[in-house]
Amino acid sequence: MSTYYDENELDDNVPVKTNVLKRLVNTLRPHWKTLLGGVLAIVVVSLLDAYFTILSKRIIDEGIIPQNKAAILHFFTIYGAIVLIQAVGAFLFIFLAGLQGERVRYDLRKQLFNHLQELSLSYFSKTPLGWIMSRVTSDTEKMAELLTWGIIDTTYALVSIIVSSVFMFTINWQLALIVMFSLPVMAYAALKFRVRIYHHYRLSRKANSKMTASLNENITGVRVVKALRREDRNLQDFKVLSSAMYRSSYRAAYLSALFQPTIQMISAISLGLILWRGGIKVELGLITIGGLQAFVSYIMMILWPIQDLARVYADMQNAVASSERVFSLLDTQPGITNRPAAREIPSLAGDIAFEGVSFRYEDDEPVIRNLSFHIPYGQSVALVGPTGGGKTTIVNLLCRFYEPTEGVIRIAGVDYMDLSLQTIQSRIGVVLQTPHLFSGSIRENIRYGKLDATDEEIEDAAKLAGAHNFITHFEHGYDQNVGEGGNLLSVGQKQLISIARAILSTPDIFVMDEATSSVDTLTEALIQNGMEKLMTGRTSFIIAHRLSTIKNANRILVIRDGQIAESGNHNELMLLKGHYYRLYTQQFRYELETKLDPYGEVPNATDAI
Amino acid sequence: MMKKQQKKYPALDPQAVVASKNGLTALWRLMSGYHGHYLLSALMLAISATARAGIYIFLGWFVDHILKEGRFGSELLLSAAGFVCLILVQATSGFLSNQLAAQTAESSTRRLRDLLFDHIQRLSFAYHAEAKTGDLLERASSDVDTLRRFISDQAIGVARVIAIFIINFTAIMQINARLALVSIIIIPVILVVSILFFRKLSKAYEAYQEQEAVISTNLQENLSGVRVVKAFARQAYEIEKFDANNFEKYKRGRKLNLMHSLFWPVSDILCAAQMIGSNIMAAFMAIDGVITLGNYMSFTGLLGWLIWPIRNLGRLIVDTSRALVSLKRVTDVLRVAQEPLLEGTHVPEQGVAGSIRFEHVSFAYEKDRPVLEDISFECPAGQIVALLGSTGSGKTSLVNLLPRFYDVTEGKILLDGVDLRDYPRHYLRSQIGIVEQEPFLFSCSIRDNITYGITREVSQEEIEQAAREAAIHDVIMEFANGYDTLVGERGVTLSGGQKQRVAIARTLLINPRILILDDSTSSVDMETEVQIRQALQALMQNRTTFIIAHRIQSIMSADLILVFDQGKIVQSGTHDELIQQPGIYRSIYEIQTRIDNALQEEIDRVHVL
Repeated sequence: MSTYYDENELDDNVPVKTNVLKRLVNTLRPHWKTLLGGVLAIVVVSLLDAYFTILSKRIIDEGIIPQNKAAILHFFTIYGAIVLIQAVGAFLFIFLAGLQGERVRYDLRKQLFNHLQELSLSYFSKTPLGWIMSRVTSDTEKMAELLTWGIIDTTYALVSIIVSSVFMFTINWQLALIVMFSLPVMAYAALKFRVRIYHHYRLSRKANSKMTASLNENITGVRVVKALRREDRNLQDFKVLSSAMYRSSYRAAYLSALFQPTIQMISAISLGLILWRGGIKVELGLITIGGLQAFVSYIMMILWPIQDLARVYADMQNAVASSERVFSLLDTQPGITNRPAAREIPSLAGDIAFEGVSFRYEDDEPVIRNLSFHIPYGQSVALVGPTGGGKTTIVNLLCRFYEPTEGVIRIAGVDYMDLSLQTIQSRIGVVLQTPHLFSGSIRENIRYGKLDATDEEIEDAAKLAGAHNFITHFEHGYDQNVGEGGNLLSVGQKQLISIARAILSTPDIFVMDEATSSVDTLTEALIQNGMEKLMTGRTSFIIAHRLSTIKNANRILVIRDGQIAESGNHNELMLLKGHYYRLYTQQFRYELETKLDPYGEVPNATDAI
Repeated sequence: MMKKQQKKYPALDPQAVVASKNGLTALWRLMSGYHGHYLLSALMLAISATARAGIYIFLGWFVDHILKEGRFGSELLLSAAGFVCLILVQATSGFLSNQLAAQTAESSTRRLRDLLFDHIQRLSFAYHAEAKTGDLLERASSDVDTLRRFISDQAIGVARVIAIFIINFTAIMQINARLALVSIIIIPVILVVSILFFRKLSKAYEAYQEQEAVISTNLQENLSGVRVVKAFARQAYEIEKFDANNFEKYKRGRKLNLMHSLFWPVSDILCAAQMIGSNIMAAFMAIDGVITLGNYMSFTGLLGWLIWPIRNLGRLIVDTSRALVSLKRVTDVLRVAQEPLLEGTHVPEQGVAGSIRFEHVSFAYEKDRPVLEDISFECPAGQIVALLGSTGSGKTSLVNLLPRFYDVTEGKILLDGVDLRDYPRHYLRSQIGIVEQEPFLFSCSIRDNITYGITREVSQEEIEQAAREAAIHDVIMEFANGYDTLVGERGVTLSGGQKQRVAIARTLLINPRILILDDSTSSVDMETEVQIRQALQALMQNRTTFIIAHRIQSIMSADLILVFDQGKIVQSGTHDELIQQPGIYRSIYEIQTRIDNALQEEIDRVHVL
């Protein structure tokens, strides 16, 4: 739905702000040579274009009328030479402008992408992904278009108009004046048309994305549609959308069809005037027949640059709005950065302490309130509690995806704000609830944990994680493609690979958000096994759902409303008969029910007790 | 019940389109109802081209008969007016041609979009189970758009180039036949070069677009996996990876650009060579008195329009082949037969009673791979049948037969003693309510979701009453916009249990005689589970109910329990009966007691420690 965000915030008339222009100029600065080359080439081309008309005039006046064949050959030789020069010019401006366009696009995207890597997690949690995507893909496109073809077309149009005008004035200034009067009228009409066409065009794109969304929903929900017999009504609803699309799309096409003829009519009037007045002048010998022909050509040609200018202007409105959004993204400051004197330390092996930690998003209610606990090195902590209680936030704080609003988090005795982000994040291994894989092979995905890992190291990690077995069963083994976002693998497989990835990174601290979705029993056992491997010899934080994980933890923290409601080991908490007791018994029933599968999915399930 | 649809546009016979022998015929039939418009558009186009040629011929006449013969009186003024008139004709007919083509294109594609939308939602379940949503969307949106552009721009474009060519060539023939024949020497060369070029260009452009898709995916994966990137501190790696993709796009763009920058100047030179040759010849002829000066001036104008448009013909021809590909993709969908919704003879006006009887029913999605085998049972009206079994044992396939989402392969199902296949699907579905475990909701307001598929007027009180009974009213009232709260991306995300209760409220309002319930409850908290259970109880009152269950609690009171295994009924009876016999049912039942015991043991163990 990228178009949705794209169109949503566009106004019809975006005022051009000077500082945006300044920054656009800055964007161009590294490419000034290609730009200059392109502009020079187009200037030459447009100068020569205008000169062709002069040449045609001379062919008539100095060649045909005086019956001078030698002169004609001479003029056409010049003509041929100019064609060749123009061809070189055309090659240069197309090549240079295109090249510059690609470079600007490349630069902007690179800049945006690199900047995005620095922004904090909080930015991504509040900004829709589609919005960011549109900035990087379509907005940069529009900016590049303006900064290349926008400039080239404007140059061409301006030079043509100016040169043609000069030539017209040198041929006959009175006739030239007639043309000069019609120019602003044409320009005004062209501009009005362009802006209107754009307006409807944009409406049609909006209507189109609504239409596609509606169709998408109807296909995804086809079962409901059929069951509830909504076909007729849905068609009616869709017709409203498709009619809106038809209206704006047809309107844009209608205006486009009307556009050029209107401009032509305006020019027709000045043409009529010129032939009439010019005819009289021919009588008086004030203008030659060739000269009159030149005027006719100029009038018929000058339509194009004027239309070009109108188009560039309308494009510019859009491109400036795009630029503003791109620049605003680039101006977004990362919420979390290294402190000036941030240290690198080789290892995070040491106790972890939260001391009076509170956290809130901007002005909201605190999600974590005055949290304090101390975990000795090598121990495991299970975080349990209801959804929205703050478990994930605690983990995010530990990874320094967020920073405490109040209080201190110490790792190995050091306030972690004094450490560099790189130190903290490279020493923490994270396995997420919905494991995220990148498209590519399994090998590449595991290697993500340690970029210079050998194939043996990767296989060892996979073996430890219990993933080796299923990987080797794939046709291409470790080189099996996982698909976009890993969607060719099952959830359990993705989880095993992300465990292998974490093992490979040999972290000092291990953080895991256990999946709630059930996987088959065998995979489940493998995951448990892999987790245990990861937990030995390092401090671990698990957002836990499974009983075995919870029971095995050295310490259980029950988190409710951003606070520790209960804390201790399994036995201690059971005796309290409080939140933990209730959570535990409910989960106990649920797990056992799944485990005691009566349908024979697991052969020996009934022996579990 | 079926509202007569207002016909806002002439009907389209999709069968005729599908049955067309070749693509162009199919396209022509797609425009049925607008053939007049389209032919008129072509006629206008010819008039416009003729008028333009007329301007140049008139210019020649003007030079020869007005300027050179010195008729500077009213004849001069009249001639000038004549020019204006010709331009007026050219502009007006040009406008009409474009407008009519646009109208044809927009109208016939709107009709096609509506048709496809409706067709897709009426395709059978079997089709939807196989089809990919993205692919269907593509066909109904971008392929249709390709056709729209073909009708409005490309087909008309080809006609325009040909019309201009014929008219200008004829006009030049009138001036001098030898000149005319010499002037078209280059045309086959230009045509071949341009077709070859645009074919290559279109490939290069595809490669460029593919890389754009790669960049998009890369960016999207990076953004959605931001936590992984940060957790492994892999920013530098990500930047490098993106840069490589970005640079590849730059390189492909550069190649594309190089092609452009070579083609245009080279074709310029080719065209110019023809221009120069013909012009020299014409100038010499004018000097030798073979043609007049006016003829020469007409000729130069006509010649330009004879040669330059040919360059674009290559692009238009390449685009045509693309349009034919899109057309095939669209007709492939149209060719698939719809589910006949109204076919069937038995339509009891007072509704069905709801007694259902399965007689030796077998069903297979694919030939020889039955998912249901020899199913026979009977359910009197108003009773509850529970279906128990593991995933894939055939429960869902069985209930899919009731609303005739699929028809039986063997045997028959009787509703009130009448074969199900005698009831029209639409009628049958009006008698059956379905509540899925996690129903699909549409991205409209909660109110619209509750009243989805209800044809009568429903008051707010009624809606709220149903919502209360479904235990969802309080949840809805907690949202800022209450019943107007939007569901989905732009509104709130409802949990699976909440969605289910919305569907329950809807089904209460529909008040069907037969109910299908999917109650394989996932892990929801206890409070919610109680609420859902109560809501379901309310719903089952006085209806024939088919309930799919994974657990026993929800089905103990069923009148008939069917235990499924691999498509067959392995046990059937009431709870009391089944509990007496050894088998799956009893073991499931016993698990519950065993869980209670195990839990008690567990708790005791803690106390001992």
